[in-house]
Amino acid sequence: MPHLHIQNLTFTYPGSNIPALQDVNLTIRQGEYIALCGRSGSGKTTLLRHLKTVLTPHGTRTGQILFGDTPLELIPHNIQASKIGYVMQNPEDQIVTDKVWHELSFGLENIGFDRTAMRTRVAEMACYFGIQDWFHKDVSTLSGGQKQLLNLASVMAMQPEVLILDEPTSMLDPLAASDFLNTIRKINLELGTTIIITEHRLEDILHGADRVVVMEQGQVVVNDAPRAAGSALWQQKHPMFAAMPTPMQVFYRSGGQEDCPLTVREGRTWLNNLLPQGASIPSLPETPEEPSDEIALQLKELWFRYERDSSDVLRSASICVPTGSFHAIVGGNGAGKSTLLKAICGICKPYRGKVSVFGKSYGAHKAGELFRNCLAMLPQDPKSLFARDTVAEELQEVCKDDAQIAQMAALCKIDHLLNRHPYDLSGGEQQRTALAKVLLTNPRVLLLDEPTKGIDGFFKEILADILCKLKKQGATIVMVSHDVEFCAKYADRVSMFFDGQILATHTPRAFFGGNSFYTTSANRISRSIFRDAVTIDHLVQLVESNREAAQ
Amino acid sequence: MKTDGFSKLHPVTNFLFFLGVIGFGVVFQHPAYLAAGVVAAGIYYILLDGRKALKAIAAMLPLFLLVTVLNPLFNTRGANVLFSVFGRPYTLEALCYGAAVGGILVITLLWFGCYSRIMTEDKFTALFGQLAPSLSLLLVMVFRLVPNLIEKARQITGARHCIGLGGKQATKKEKLQNAMTVLMALTGWSLESGILTADSMRSRGYGTAKRSNFHLYRITRSDVLVLMFTGITAAVTLYSAFAGATGAKYTPTLSFAPVTPMLAAYCLYLLIPAIIHLKEVILCRIFISKI
Repeated sequence: MPHLHIQNLTFTYPGSNIPALQDVNLTIRQGEYIALCGRSGSGKTTLLRHLKTVLTPHGTRTGQILFGDTPLELIPHNIQASKIGYVMQNPEDQIVTDKVWHELSFGLENIGFDRTAMRTRVAEMACYFGIQDWFHKDVSTLSGGQKQLLNLASVMAMQPEVLILDEPTSMLDPLAASDFLNTIRKINLELGTTIIITEHRLEDILHGADRVVVMEQGQVVVNDAPRAAGSALWQQKHPMFAAMPTPMQVFYRSGGQEDCPLTVREGRTWLNNLLPQGASIPSLPETPEEPSDEIALQLKELWFRYERDSSDVLRSASICVPTGSFHAIVGGNGAGKSTLLKAICGICKPYRGKVSVFGKSYGAHKAGELFRNCLAMLPQDPKSLFARDTVAEELQEVCKDDAQIAQMAALCKIDHLLNRHPYDLSGGEQQRTALAKVLLTNPRVLLLDEPTKGIDGFFKEILADILCKLKKQGATIVMVSHDVEFCAKYADRVSMFFDGQILATHTPRAFFGGNSFYTTSANRISRSIFRDAVTIDHLVQLVESNREAAQ
Repeated sequence: MKTDGFSKLHPVTNFLFFLGVIGFGVVFQHPAYLAAGVVAAGIYYILLDGRKALKAIAAMLPLFLLVTVLNPLFNTRGANVLFSVFGRPYTLEALCYGAAVGGILVITLLWFGCYSRIMTEDKFTALFGQLAPSLSLLLVMVFRLVPNLIEKARQITGARHCIGLGGKQATKKEKLQNAMTVLMALTGWSLESGILTADSMRSRGYGTAKRSNFHLYRITRSDVLVLMFTGITAAVTLYSAFAGATGAKYTPTLSFAPVTPMLAAYCLYLLIPAIIHLKEVILCRIFISKI
């Protein structure tokens, strides 16, 4: 039985000539799990917002949407409110009240539920989602993952038939994200709720999804079961193929033909069948390191705590970053990685230890000079850097030279956006605007705090491209990140941050090759056969050279 | 604070108690009643806040003395002239009246101190949410807004610091300009989050039906008992007040109504939270010792 039926939907935003949605036809059956993907700006969010009348954007529209067999706009708002649940991207902004228990009951209060029934419903939700332990807490004390789980629970308390999720995990760390996505899967399996989700992390959802719908410039280009969709994308040479799970990419790129593997387990089986005798070439040749002897940034035994009687966040953290290298620091959530960057910038003042930039200690730099042509940081949330009405004015705030601004805008690929308001940009574009603003101070040492958070694969490539260019110009880059795949692909050295200290520092291949849990999918697939293959490229190269060797 | 038994009761019980105790505290001028008020409020405040309360009480003492000493300078009525200041009589009666006013001030401050510990925001909204659901939601959102704004402002200044904007050795004009920019950034960001919050509210059916109000408090047997006890002692006190037992005149001569056994009822009333607190502490000790 069709649950949602989108018929010939075309939609144009006011003041735009190009339709944001073009002749979209989609039938979603009861209890289906649909993964909607596409680059940012392909119309995913616009489509999702059409599935709930109060969120539908203004503009000209033709075609219709049936919920069951009634047109959606004829269903009263209070019924839609409970039957169609909608969870958005930003965990923080979706929360309305100040207490966890109150937030759980917010939707129920709105539709005028009586108090005794609410009490049971709220209790039920708290149990199902494992919220009991923080039920009485203030919302402000929760982590991002907990906040998003609370948003989900608060929507589920109204017992929706359809659950729509618009990039729900893009602001979460990988562990919290995979917990969240597992919960979604559980809801789908145990309650039979229809799920429509857009997500960058296809790796985590594709194996559970019934169908993958790929959008491109407002049109549905692929609509099929995951394996078939992957195969279609590969044949079309579609850019979205790069967002598919690692096993699938490796399979097709190394010439696989039939059914592709979707999970790491299937990937391992496939690889073992491909090379039953093991690999004759187990590892790629070592790429020689070219360490620079000049040291750009050195931390010596930093100790820091936020309050006098709180516990230490940094416990003798030391690191040494040579000039011109791209250094990634990975580590668990809340371990203090961001605090480390703040300590380097002097936002947090370590009570012991020493920070030196280019051999000069922090105080030895002339006041005001450190953050000009020397050190700069890109904060986690690009919005914290925005203060003006257009992108151009943002850039002029740090640099008066128009030629330099134009050059930087071109480098960061925001030259077509200069007259837009920063808040009208997509997540990836905001990130690049903020980066351009930071780079206009000409930093020789650039600090990045989670630069890949909330941006899709396509924008990550652009970001990596910018960072590589900067490195060629001699800049030193220090990045803290959760994004294991990004670090494995682009960083020169990777360090583990744990318990307030920087532990192991290695090249990405040695670092991730040595880990078995905290590592990339490519390494998980291949670790029994190859040594130190940590990216998809490594894996594809190794499979090919082994195949040639066998012939 | 965590073990305070009185705060575990229903907001209605808490609120009615404070309403009475602050009401009586402001009206009664009889020295015995004042003394009872100061002692009872002080005890409960110390039970709640421990050492911090002692510091707060120590800070109230100079205030009390100031009011006491200053009153005769403005109020010259009274039979017993102690000495004269600037040619105006400084009387014993006015001094006593000053002490009474100071006492009332201290009592009110102490009870409000306790009130802010017991009647937290969620209790307040639980109590009045029924009467004005939208207003109480607005209040809840404001409570969330303020710390949110502070956090955002901190992030903005931090981010700007790291690209060399808003440095320490700026001139006054630059500092002002920088503050304005931060304020602008904060406004923009908050509006942006506001739009998202509004979407989230509407998508969960805000404004589609008459709102009901949820809270976790339930009237229990102990609430009924405490409410009854509060009611009886307050009624007796009120009766005695109308019967003249709290009568007190300071000027021109001191004359107080004789202390009656009714004072005991007032004392019991004032000590309700302290008694519940101590009972809970003792019970807890006993229960925990059994584990």
